[in-house]
Amino acid sequence: MSKKEAIPPGWSYNPASWGQRLPIVIAAMVGFAIAAYMALFQFKVIDTVWEPFFGDGSRKILTSKTSQILPIPDAALGALGYLVDALAGVIGGVRRWRTMPWIVIAFGLAVGPLGFVSVLLVVLQPVLYDSWCTLCLSTALISVVMIGPAMDEMLASLQYMKRVKDANVSMWKAFWGYKEVQGKVL
Amino acid sequence: MWAQIINAVLGIWLMASAAILGYSDVKIITDNEHIVGPIVASFAIISWWEATRVVRLYNVLPGLWLLLAPWVLGYDNGLATTNSMVAGALITGLSFVKGKVEETYGGGWSAIWKSDTLHAREARKQPRTDLEG
Repeated sequence: MSKKEAIPPGWSYNPASWGQRLPIVIAAMVGFAIAAYMALFQFKVIDTVWEPFFGDGSRKILTSKTSQILPIPDAALGALGYLVDALAGVIGGVRRWRTMPWIVIAFGLAVGPLGFVSVLLVVLQPVLYDSWCTLCLSTALISVVMIGPAMDEMLASLQYMKRVKDANVSMWKAFWGYKEVQGKVL
Repeated sequence: MWAQIINAVLGIWLMASAAILGYSDVKIITDNEHIVGPIVASFAIISWWEATRVVRLYNVLPGLWLLLAPWVLGYDNGLATTNSMVAGALITGLSFVKGKVEETYGGGWSAIWKSDTLHAREARKQPRTDLEG
């Protein structure tokens, strides 16, 4: 199959190409590594946490009440979130916007809340604890940067779902990428 | 896109300005800037990409709020008031700068619910694909 056929109708490029997806996957892996490192500190596997700018900031933030609001420390949850994003970014081929919309839409939905929670935590650091945490700010930046590039692919999948609906093809089957509906709608 | 880069920098500036301009002992001003700053920076960064450029408009509200905040919250610091007003005016104004959009996106976000959109028309023109995934 030619490369051109992977481009969604009415688009000038393919948002599911590897050139589009790999940067997001790499960003998610970096986010995972940083969050995992902070989680190790929260699990007390390591005694100190790297903080170049804000003195005791990282320690204060990572041991704060907010960080322990859930049964597992927040950095561990963050690490899990980045891992899900990386996996959802890597699964499927360059036509996945129509062959497996579920993963593209799940990917788009996973990136959104992760970014939202990261920004919320960035707001809470100075407001509640009067300190900043360099690595927390870095992971928040990564999760915000991932939102934009993940959304174009989701848009292509949602437009495909709209065409499926208009063609009276089963949206359920198209969403999960059933073989029998493949190619029925472009 | 340059406008949204400036807005991202302005958002980050708001996170740091209380410490740099020396009014970080005034809790209400500092908190306000520490809340609005990350929000502005996030919306601006998301709108760096063409497909989500529309998100830049979400910064109109925080921008206008920065213009009002010194009076609503009763700032008693001239420097903080000036900072809030200038940042607010710039953020609001720059939110409306769309910049270049060079790619096409099948009709964009509204094409998910509207009919007779670019992606639907283009799909009708093209031959059906084979059953291969």
